[in-house]
Amino acid sequence: MIGRAALTLAALILTVAVAAPWRWSLPPGVVAPIVPADNPMSAAKVALGRRLFYDADLSIDGTMSCASCHEQKHAFADVNATRPGVHGDPGRRNVPGLANVAWLSSLTSADPRVTTLEAQAMIPIFGLEMGMHGSEQEIPRRLTRDVCYRRQFRAAFPDRRGRIDMTSVAMALASFERSLVSFGTPADRGALSPQATAGKAVFDQTCASCHSGPIFSDGHFHVILPVDKADRGLAEATGRAEDEGRFRTPPLRNVAVTGPWFHDGSARTLRDAIARHPVMLDAADTGRVLAYLMALTDRGFIENPAFAYPDDPCGSK
Amino acid sequence: MFNALLAAALLQASAPAHDRCPEAVAPPAELSGWASPRPLGAGRTVGRATMLTPGVAVAARLPSTRDVRYVVRPEKPGGSVSYGGVFAFTVTTPGRYRVALGSGAWIDVLADGKPATSVAHGHGPACTGIRKMVDFDLAAGRYVLQVAGNGTADLPLMVTKLPA
Repeated sequence: MIGRAALTLAALILTVAVAAPWRWSLPPGVVAPIVPADNPMSAAKVALGRRLFYDADLSIDGTMSCASCHEQKHAFADVNATRPGVHGDPGRRNVPGLANVAWLSSLTSADPRVTTLEAQAMIPIFGLEMGMHGSEQEIPRRLTRDVCYRRQFRAAFPDRRGRIDMTSVAMALASFERSLVSFGTPADRGALSPQATAGKAVFDQTCASCHSGPIFSDGHFHVILPVDKADRGLAEATGRAEDEGRFRTPPLRNVAVTGPWFHDGSARTLRDAIARHPVMLDAADTGRVLAYLMALTDRGFIENPAFAYPDDPCGSK
Repeated sequence: MFNALLAAALLQASAPAHDRCPEAVAPPAELSGWASPRPLGAGRTVGRATMLTPGVAVAARLPSTRDVRYVVRPEKPGGSVSYGGVFAFTVTTPGRYRVALGSGAWIDVLADGKPATSVAHGHGPACTGIRKMVDFDLAAGRYVLQVAGNGTADLPLMVTKLPA
């Protein structure tokens, strides 16, 4: 009887812990992102999503995880123009950073139809990147073998009875990605050098019409580079000629560590990336803007152990 | 929900486009042994690390990642369905050494249990079968080579000293 009571109490404590509301840690003036109603944030989901993010069992041969391309030290981008997929197929677009993706109104560089991180997560998993198309049951099968995963899914999805399927996987990955919040740059702290302060003034005048708001993106699709018939950008999603070569304005926090730049990774330096925009900046102003962009690097984000590979997800050590 | 997510994912996929190699290309001189590897089973622990000889290519047979105990957790450890292994090699002549692989597997070269810092990395020459090369400046001594996250149990592998 006592044993059963203890078990009930333990279950109650676990339920309360799981059901505890997620607390966003945001600076004043930043409103929490919109989260899908059917996938509310929880610490258990974020912890599970973090482990899944680093797990190469999400790729067909176990060689590639989300983190293979989204490296924390590069603000969850990587240093390649594009990355080949798990079978060596050439990558098509540059890997974007993930800081503050929770605030993006659409995911991917040129498809406004992908509006949730849950949907986006499936694109690389079942695409050429991780190669799971045709093996839809394989990931749940692999995860179910692991006792720690079973425990984590039960904690994260009590409403789904801990069911391990791709819906839960997508929800957990999305929850972790939403937790990737970066508002701790020198610019955020008001700790700009004189050069960066001057750069901010230039940036506000010439760049902020598109790189706007708290995440430095208007979320719209613009033509910056010459149209490339091999990658028609937004037109591939809409079929409209006027959308040829349009790509979504990328957010800029941590931009200095996410190079190479542009959707195709064709700009090898940040200076080149600035120069290829249709704005006229002389060398002095370019240098000032560069100083400002460098001040958008959030070391606390890049080095945050809460976002790193989880060495001991179930506390077994 | 999953079907909707999958449909969206497949919309994004495009046809694969593999590189084609009409014929194999001989590797550069410092990797001349690459084309004639000898079979070798990989170790599962540092205590049972398999010895490599610099300049001699091997066709390594790797155990399942689940059976490998690494000295240092690889930065990209590979999933449970991948393969890995533990090797060792001795450097008698200090200099720049290259680890060449036939895959994109993650490697660590450890000296006294700590990862050495690579000085260069890149793809192998086209059509040689070398997919990845990582260079290290190494002093004389014994080194452990960890291989992690290989997609198959077979891995062409070679450690070689580069010309000064």
